[in-house]
Amino acid sequence: MTYEPIWGPIISWYLFLAGLGAGAFITSAFLGWRHPEATSMQKMGRIIAPLAVAVGLVLLMVDAEAGLHNPIRFFYLLMNPGSVMMWGVVFLGAFMVVAIAAFVLDRMKRRIPNWLEILGVVLAVCVAVYTGALLGVCKTYPLWNNALLPILFLVSALSSGAASVLMVAVVRHADEFIRVGVLKKFHFCLPIIELVLVASLCFITAQTNTAGWESIMNLVSGEWALWFWIGLVAIGLVLPTVLETWLLFFSPKEFEESRKAHWISFFSDAGVLVGGFLLRFLIVAAAVPLTIVVPLV
Amino acid sequence: MTRYGMLIDTTNCIGCFACRTACQRQNGQDPEVDYIRYEERETGTLPFVHHETVPLQCMHCEDAPCVHVCPTGASYIAEGGVVKVDESKCIGCRYCMAACPYQVRVHNKVSGAVEKCKFCHAWVYEHPETPSNTCVTACVTGCRIFGDLDDPNSELSRAIVEKNALPIAGDLTKAKIFYVR
Repeated sequence: MTYEPIWGPIISWYLFLAGLGAGAFITSAFLGWRHPEATSMQKMGRIIAPLAVAVGLVLLMVDAEAGLHNPIRFFYLLMNPGSVMMWGVVFLGAFMVVAIAAFVLDRMKRRIPNWLEILGVVLAVCVAVYTGALLGVCKTYPLWNNALLPILFLVSALSSGAASVLMVAVVRHADEFIRVGVLKKFHFCLPIIELVLVASLCFITAQTNTAGWESIMNLVSGEWALWFWIGLVAIGLVLPTVLETWLLFFSPKEFEESRKAHWISFFSDAGVLVGGFLLRFLIVAAAVPLTIVVPLV
Repeated sequence: MTRYGMLIDTTNCIGCFACRTACQRQNGQDPEVDYIRYEERETGTLPFVHHETVPLQCMHCEDAPCVHVCPTGASYIAEGGVVKVDESKCIGCRYCMAACPYQVRVHNKVSGAVEKCKFCHAWVYEHPETPSNTCVTACVTGCRIFGDLDDPNSELSRAIVEKNALPIAGDLTKAKIFYVR
């Protein structure tokens, strides 16, 4: 029996961009707390956040074809409070309002009130966790139906959000980039946590049942093995960890502040973004459902 | 109360797929859209082998995962316990397809909406004089029995007891299609 995945790359892009936007907003709030002098980077985070989520939402609407052809139907999205997707719509909508409000206040050169920033961070966490819970409640897919997924997506969202802000900083605000040491150290830890979570997900899911085993085999040795090992593990998780370890702990301070080191950091962060997308893409694509009579291969 | 259900006796199924063809004609579908799918299983070793064809379609679950996850309320449980999709509310997000443990929902590429078995035989059941060609009437070996589960004297209820028919996945979702295997 063959199986056609229900969701394709468009949904993976949406899950990635929603996470990235949420992560960028949290990064900007973190900078405001630990590095208040890095104002341009904070503003950059508040531009990326609504932009990334908005692009993600447009992709989502394009993918939901029956709604795209009859946009009035999108108003029904709040009809079933028992659906995780309905809560996603609520979180995404509220987050967009806060993110756009913060962006507008920036443009008007006004200070962003603390309560708005805290509200934004809470909603950003909700959005990032929701992208994992959305898949997590589908009992038919052992690769999705576990409590690790929302946490994994949250960590990956924080990681890619911070990476996007740091990348822009390398290009446009090098003076601030060298001063945000605490952010860099937190950002450095995230791919390591993610690596542990991905390994746990693989080990545990492979032991659940035939469908779980087949999903993991799809990733580690099957159809998606190259993307998994080279794209996600090597480029997305190990490379950034190795490069940042070297830059943060083993390179001389003069080199760490040189332009060359900035560009190495830039490529390490680009790797984080590649990994962030591939994580969503592979988890969506490699999942095999439980079947009733005959297991799928 | 009426609670529609069905019995499928796979021990008599010859795998001719007439039920699917009839369903496609009855519901005016394109060849690539089908509400009935089949899983085939071979057991035993030669020369003692057994081949089983299991037709699967919407089980009209009482505890329906598709209805729980549908964000717009397009998936709902209609009169007679029949699970239906109100196409005027469906945005085509396909969340129900991911939630359905039986993978019997189909995405219509033209309308973008999700479709599935509507238990169309219920209308034939209520109007026996109507000429019809549903999965029930088309089955050449009479594998399928349709009826009211709440009526203990219906042909269906009696057959379920007599043949010891069970839902395909136990009490997973309180399915209303019963199988003899």
